[in-house]
Amino acid sequence: MEILSFEETKRILLKYRLPFCRTEIFNSKEKALTFAKQIGFPIVLKVHAQKIFHKSEVGGVKINIKNAEEFILSWDQIEKNIQGKNIEGILVQEMVSGSEVAIGIKRDSQFGPVLMFGLGGIFIEIIKDVALRVAPISIEEAMKMIKEIKGFEILNGARGKKKVDLTKIAEMIVNLSTLSMKEEKIQSIDFNPVMVTDKQAMITDFRIII
Amino acid sequence: MKRIFNPKSIALIGASEEPGTVGFGLAKNIFLGKDSRKIYFVNPKREEVLGIKCFDTISEIKEKIDLAIIAVPMPIVKNIVLECGEKKVGGMVVVSAGFKESGNIKEEEEIKEIARKYKVPLIGPNCLGIINPSINLNASFAPITPKKGSIAFLSQSGALLDSVIDQDGLGFSKVVSYGNEADLDLADFIEYLKTDEETKVISIYFEGVKDGRKFMRIASEVSKIKPIVAIKSGRSDKGKEAVGTHTGALAGDYDVYGAAMKQSGAILVDTLEELFDTSLALSSLPKCENGIGIITNGGGLGVLTVDYCSELGIGLPSLSKTTISYLEKGETMKKLITKNNPLDLLGDALVDRYAAGIESMLRQKDINGLIVISTPQLMTEHEKNAKIIVELRDKYPLKPIVCCFLGGQSVINAVKYLESKGIPNYTDVKRAVKSINGLIKR
Repeated sequence: MEILSFEETKRILLKYRLPFCRTEIFNSKEKALTFAKQIGFPIVLKVHAQKIFHKSEVGGVKINIKNAEEFILSWDQIEKNIQGKNIEGILVQEMVSGSEVAIGIKRDSQFGPVLMFGLGGIFIEIIKDVALRVAPISIEEAMKMIKEIKGFEILNGARGKKKVDLTKIAEMIVNLSTLSMKEEKIQSIDFNPVMVTDKQAMITDFRIII
Repeated sequence: MKRIFNPKSIALIGASEEPGTVGFGLAKNIFLGKDSRKIYFVNPKREEVLGIKCFDTISEIKEKIDLAIIAVPMPIVKNIVLECGEKKVGGMVVVSAGFKESGNIKEEEEIKEIARKYKVPLIGPNCLGIINPSINLNASFAPITPKKGSIAFLSQSGALLDSVIDQDGLGFSKVVSYGNEADLDLADFIEYLKTDEETKVISIYFEGVKDGRKFMRIASEVSKIKPIVAIKSGRSDKGKEAVGTHTGALAGDYDVYGAAMKQSGAILVDTLEELFDTSLALSSLPKCENGIGIITNGGGLGVLTVDYCSELGIGLPSLSKTTISYLEKGETMKKLITKNNPLDLLGDALVDRYAAGIESMLRQKDINGLIVISTPQLMTEHEKNAKIIVELRDKYPLKPIVCCFLGGQSVINAVKYLESKGIPNYTDVKRAVKSINGLIKR
């Protein structure tokens, strides 16, 4: 069991029309900084490695990096934290905001690919507020899935929050459903968080396990 | 499978007269159907069992055998299955245990291969057998033969099946203890029951399914025609979690089953009581649209019922002007303080108030079913209430009515009468609510 390489991940995401925020992988700090300047601060740094399943826990994630100085400090810090670990590189990502949701698949021994949807961040880890379906599913079923979670109103404009575009989430679930039926070597996928606004749904963290 | 469930001839291999043995239990039960079909007992060690001559082997029997029941020690099952294959029996039930469940996977594979080779369907091994009450067939070692009815019960557990078929008030069309599913699996039985005329509801206890995709394909197809109600054990088993993935940890086995059931149109319930209640309601009452009326002679129970309804998303339409003016016509209703849903008839309600209340609600278009509560107050006329409920049910046959006559001795006769007329009564309003919930088309 290992995490799919960044290049392969990117290829899969593009192939199944799964929109993700601007991301590149680097081993050189200088090149990474050039890219960061190019996409504009603030940015995020994340380690990407075959065997690091929890990036934050090993100190492999730095967010909201606002300028070149902070960038260099953060980069060095990550390198120190993961010293001795075999890594593919460090990802430089644009910062995207929105409501956090989580979308994923796992392969069940009885039913095959199972799709998961829930609110992102702490909601999914602590409250375990998720909806599941056995793939493949239609866009209507994906919509039902989204509305099924307890925290649905958070996405639907509760307390004056802006409503998010639910169709964009549903489309992402359906595309993931297609992927899950075709890419048999993929064991599980976690997109958490996916940032959703009234205009888009954008994957900001991906973990594909083969 | 038709031959298995409606055999004209049946052979028991491993028949015995020794009290307390499976071979004896089976022989006794099969013997009960001696007037309905030909019975053959096979046991080389015995001359006769229950006065019927024993054959040494199944091949000695000249006549055609529709159903062979195999209850011999595990090591010789393979040979018997082979003989049954040669004999071209219509189907086999292997009751014997000691296969996959004891780690003997190869032995189970072997009997499956033989069954497939001879194209003889095989139920089991490690099961209790099958029962078809309407034709007096009990090919199991269950201690009783259940009443006939329209619920088909499929159970992966034998012991649980024993207690289910012993429930008062439940009637069965087919009962199957399907054991290890070496050949025929749960989905095969569901598919067979789709066209079984006696079956109105398919009720299932299971621990897992052999082929999830096949189960979903067949259950989705059948649930469009007949309701499927199921209970699954192994809830706390989180299954094989993919280490380090959220999805893996969050989608425990039970949750995935829940999703698969929902997608297949089956109803997954939490408790055995709910399994019976829902199955009974679905087998005896019509399905309806959302929108339920509640009638009670106790305010507290009315409120409790409302709470349960709202938890399950059951709509409680307000009484229309027409309904209210209809209610006000009768002298008896003058006393009511509020005329709403739930309709509180007050503690001193006599049968006339129940009659007017029930009819007024049933007349209203968007009230599609009723929960009628009757608590034993000093003047409550339970038996008269029961009679009027049956009369009004017959007048409005498309709207299901479930009752909650609460009380001990004082309501026994009323409840018996209701049940005899096909109106379920529950000892808790929550059960009544859950049952009617199972009838709502969603």
